Amino acid sequence: MEDYPEELRTPPVALVSLVGCPELHASITTHLHSEQPPINALALPDFSKISIFAKPSKDASVPPPPVAGILKKDWLLKHRTRVPAVVAALFNSDHVSGDPAQWLQVCTDLENLKGVLRGRNVKLVVVVVAPSNSKDDLSEDRMIALRKRAELDSKYLIIFVPSESELQQSLIRLGNTFSELANSYYKEEGRRIKARLERKNFHSAELNIRCCFKAAVYAEFCRDWVEALRLYEDAYHAVREMVATSTRLPPIQRLIEIKSVAEQLHFKISTLLLHGGKLAEAIAWFRQHYASYRKLVGAPEVIFLHWQWLSRQFLVFAELLETSSITAQHVSTLVSEAHDRATQWEFHSAYYFQLAAHYLKEKSSSLELALSMSETSGEIDGNADSVIAASYVGQFAKLLEIGDAFIMQSLSDEDYSRYALAEGKRLQDSYEIIALLKKSFEAYNNDKASRMAAYCGFQMAREYFTVDEYSNAKEVFENVASLYRQEGWVTLLWNVLGYLRDCSKKTALVKDFIEYSLEMAALPVSTNVAGQRDCGPAGPASLAQREIIHNEVFSVIRGESESASTEENSSLKVTADNPLYLEIDLVSPLRAVLLASVAFHEQVVKPGAETVITLSLLSQLPLNVEIDQLEIQFNQSECNFVIVNAQRSHLAAISCLQPGRRVETAPTLELRTNKWLRLTYDVKPEQSGKLECIYVTARWGQHFTICCRAESPASMSDLPLWKFEDIMQTIPMKDPGLAFSGQKAVQVEEPDPQVDLKLDSSGPALVGESFIVPVIITSKGHSVHSGELKINLVDTRGGGLLSPREAESFSSDNLHVELVGISGRECEDLANSENIQKIQPSFGLISVPFLDEGESWSCKLEIRWNRPKPIMLYVSLGYFPQSPELSSQRAHVHKSLQIEGKTAVVMSHRFMLPFRREPLLLSKTKPASDSDQIPSLPLNETSMLVVSAKNCTEVPLRLLSMSMEAVDASTCDVKTKSKNPEEHVLLVAGEEFKQVFAVTPEVNLPKLNMGIVCLRWRRDHGDGERSTSCSTTSAVLTKHSLPDVNVEQPPLIVSLDCPPHAILGNPFTYSIKITNRTQFLQEVKYSLADSQSFVLSGPHNDTTFILPKSEYILSYKLVPLASGFQQLPKITLTSIRYSAGFQPSVAASTVFVFPSEPHFGLKDIGEMRMESVAAE
Amino acid sequence: MIVCVAVVGHQNNPLYIQSFTEADDALKLHHIVHCSLDVVDERVNNPKKSSPTLNETFLGLLYPTENYKVYGYLTNTKVKLILVTTDLDVRDADVRNFFRKFHAAYVDAVSNPFHVPGKKITSRTFSERVSTVVKSFGLSSGS
Repeated sequence: MEDYPEELRTPPVALVSLVGCPELHASITTHLHSEQPPINALALPDFSKISIFAKPSKDASVPPPPVAGILKKDWLLKHRTRVPAVVAALFNSDHVSGDPAQWLQVCTDLENLKGVLRGRNVKLVVVVVAPSNSKDDLSEDRMIALRKRAELDSKYLIIFVPSESELQQSLIRLGNTFSELANSYYKEEGRRIKARLERKNFHSAELNIRCCFKAAVYAEFCRDWVEALRLYEDAYHAVREMVATSTRLPPIQRLIEIKSVAEQLHFKISTLLLHGGKLAEAIAWFRQHYASYRKLVGAPEVIFLHWQWLSRQFLVFAELLETSSITAQHVSTLVSEAHDRATQWEFHSAYYFQLAAHYLKEKSSSLELALSMSETSGEIDGNADSVIAASYVGQFAKLLEIGDAFIMQSLSDEDYSRYALAEGKRLQDSYEIIALLKKSFEAYNNDKASRMAAYCGFQMAREYFTVDEYSNAKEVFENVASLYRQEGWVTLLWNVLGYLRDCSKKTALVKDFIEYSLEMAALPVSTNVAGQRDCGPAGPASLAQREIIHNEVFSVIRGESESASTEENSSLKVTADNPLYLEIDLVSPLRAVLLASVAFHEQVVKPGAETVITLSLLSQLPLNVEIDQLEIQFNQSECNFVIVNAQRSHLAAISCLQPGRRVETAPTLELRTNKWLRLTYDVKPEQSGKLECIYVTARWGQHFTICCRAESPASMSDLPLWKFEDIMQTIPMKDPGLAFSGQKAVQVEEPDPQVDLKLDSSGPALVGESFIVPVIITSKGHSVHSGELKINLVDTRGGGLLSPREAESFSSDNLHVELVGISGRECEDLANSENIQKIQPSFGLISVPFLDEGESWSCKLEIRWNRPKPIMLYVSLGYFPQSPELSSQRAHVHKSLQIEGKTAVVMSHRFMLPFRREPLLLSKTKPASDSDQIPSLPLNETSMLVVSAKNCTEVPLRLLSMSMEAVDASTCDVKTKSKNPEEHVLLVAGEEFKQVFAVTPEVNLPKLNMGIVCLRWRRDHGDGERSTSCSTTSAVLTKHSLPDVNVEQPPLIVSLDCPPHAILGNPFTYSIKITNRTQFLQEVKYSLADSQSFVLSGPHNDTTFILPKSEYILSYKLVPLASGFQQLPKITLTSIRYSAGFQPSVAASTVFVFPSEPHFGLKDIGEMRMESVAAE
Repeated sequence: MIVCVAVVGHQNNPLYIQSFTEADDALKLHHIVHCSLDVVDERVNNPKKSSPTLNETFLGLLYPTENYKVYGYLTNTKVKLILVTTDLDVRDADVRNFFRKFHAAYVDAVSNPFHVPGKKITSRTFSERVSTVVKSFGLSSGS
């Protein structure tokens, strides 16, 4: 597009001319430029220069010369720069109203100007530059005279005031006038031309086209785009029709001229369409343009000119598309509208760049052909440079120098062809093609059209290749190859690789050359798919070609010099100075060259035991390959080994081995096409952990190595390109199970421990005791070196051994279960800080002394339960079977044991008052909620406390003592009623033990702390109490805290008094004693119910008063009438003051009646009975 | 005249590609078929919302190159059938008809129990059938 003259590329801008008053020109010009639309100004400083407007004098009598061309080359330029639409004559007001001489000068200038403009239609404006707008500066008469002389309307006589305040206004006035006049000028000119068009009085098509063009340009000047477009299209069609009819020029030049004109017109049309936003129309127009000129190839000897022209059409249109403001989202909507006509790529500039490059390529190849033909006939001569472009668009002429004058002479077609060839030779097409393709490549990449981009890239790289820029070519080719590899387009890949191979050959990159050659040789190309033409340096893709490449690359690898290609391959040599090492990983394209699959036959193996490994190699190279030596590398380097080809062992390849390396010899290591080479060997891992095969390295000769990453058959992916081929599927291992699930890694176990670890436990543990767990380590085959015993206590239900609430305050008191200590046979050793000994509440670590074979060692774990909880005890022993200097493997033995923790004894207590003595406790008369009821005890009265302890375990326990520890001895007097047993009481499972205490509170307190009951017990080991464990089982103290009691002063105490037993018929006294402990007179109501069993004498019911601090006795005489347990007559007492009633309990008011006087020691029995009753 | 037909797998790998020209420009045709996959991708990824033929297998004209026109067809298994022709004025119905026959031939070829899905089609019968269809395309458009 840059090749076009500027006046063609830009929309036309009206031109005005300023004459005179040069000091004002700058400001006026600037203002006109900023007008909308802008106006260009042609400024002439004085009237002497006006002759440039003059029309060339034409003699009307001479008939017009025959039309020599279609469009004059400089016509447009003339109207853009030389022929103004408006001429403004600027006069100074001094001169206008000055002395007659000045006035005369003004009149002359004006006349001259009018004379020059006479032939043309150019508008005239007279501008009088006045210092101010006041009337007195300018004489009215002179102004009128000036206007008359200029033959102007009064509004075109403008007074211009350049002073600060008026300047802007004057400029605007001037600008408006100019644009109005310019518009009318171009409109009139256009109308004039169109009138000619309508009259159709042309004798040639050329004139018709010219008129159309001119009218269109004038329409453009007036900004009438639609009209301009229509006229350009008319002109374009007329040009197309000329192809068949015109005979004016020799045929080659004729076509050139027509195409040039068509190109210009097409450019104008496209620009107008695109600027109007009519993208679809523009593209349709371009297609039409392309279609109508595509076939107009012209003479065969200058066919390259046609291609060049076509290429330029595409390039220009691409550039126009690129610069047009239509955005991508526009495109998508347009595509759907114009779907049937244009496909979406036609909306992208990339498409046009690509085709421009294509035709340019076509041009360069046909140019080459034409050049070679002309060279053979020796036609090129030196005088071609005198040919220049003629005055008509698309025409050329010979410039002849005759004396001092130059004469243009028309050319013959032969001359022109020669000129065109010479011109073509000067241009470097390749770089232009590359630039175009690069643009297209980038544009396609931006549109995510990677394949289109790859094609452009391929063409670009090929162009680089032809101009010997191998590094650039290689870079692009590699890029392209990766796409073809990924999508499996083998033929295309073959072609690209062929170029790449040649590039690396030419740049002497041995490694690349060999890599590309090997990849090509291993490509799945079997039949001759692609044709012979255009197949690049690789030759046609075929099996035969693959074999040729294979042989070639292996001769280089083996360093065998081939006489046929020595000069070519001289730089490509693998030698000792230049060894070659290729690495093939899982994504390498060279996987098809060598694929190594390694599988262990087992998944787990013992250290030191042999295991079998199968190594399978596959190659897709077209010919059989003999490997000299294979090296298998593991992550445990001592397992590495080397396989040597027996037939090639004479080769010195083995020399580069490390000493001490295991070497196996295989009868042959020949890889056949698509056949697995399977090798099976033993491996003996020594270290435990993972043994993994990492690399399989194949060697050819001394200097060439391929290192191939080992793959597990289980996770091996197909060969990327071969997987689409319809070839026989083979599996790497003979054993199909191994082929589908084999792994390249094996797990090596730890050595088996030969030491016994025994944990003993005697049933459940009891809360509070130190539970002993003996641990016995017995060596059975290994000696134990630097053994370590780890002990862990874990809650069976998971979680820690702390109660969650107390977890933050970590102290041993809060632990439910804790490891208290470890005692061993060598306690003194353990105490030494030399040995590792670490005991934490739930974790312990101790060292085990050296044990020889057959020896044993034991220790005891002491664990205490603070709460009942089941736990798991884990004990593990780690040791070295040999002394650690030999750095052998550590062996481990693990044992675990679940231990239940249980509460041993459950204690309870009960308060009781003395028999037949009832104090009135006021707190009991008040109803209170059950929850916060605490027992009440009468002050200074003896109450009974019964404490019972029940054995909840299955283990017999022996109680040692039960005692009560009062908090403060002065507040409460406690006496043990039943004396401690001398022989420790044996409490079997489920049995209960009771102890009675007499409690007399001595202080009146609402809350009296009664203290704690302490029970000492230990596990009973039957009669063999002297057993070893017994000595360590010390007495366990179980504490039971008593609740607080309420001590209160009873106001009244009622005690019943009757003999322990009665005898039928014998009277006895039953007295009820009411003691008033208060300072008040107490009124008491009482009543006595009759009983069938007794005859009684005494008051039945009454109200009585009891004096303070005194007592009142109700006394009855009773005679029993029946024997056995008899209910005494029931007494009911009511204290009026406290409104509290009293009735003795059934037990308290029962007496046994003997039928006759019993004959035994009455006194003893009575005591016993009393006690037993109290104990109940 | 049809110059090239191709079957392209759903990983955009060629399954079958056959050119029918005397001139040795097979490589160029490979390039053209490969490039046309970009257009297929574009069509598949940005289907036209307004289009009533949402499930249309026939993709229509993919793109014009300097001398060829490329048409596409997408089966429900994402296998692409591509046709390259030198005819400048091709009736849509003819192309649709051709693709229907071509698709049927492809379906028959891959229904062979000895064919492994995803591999190249090497069946000779398929080749012959495609050649027949290609020839008949020339005839019907000529008539």
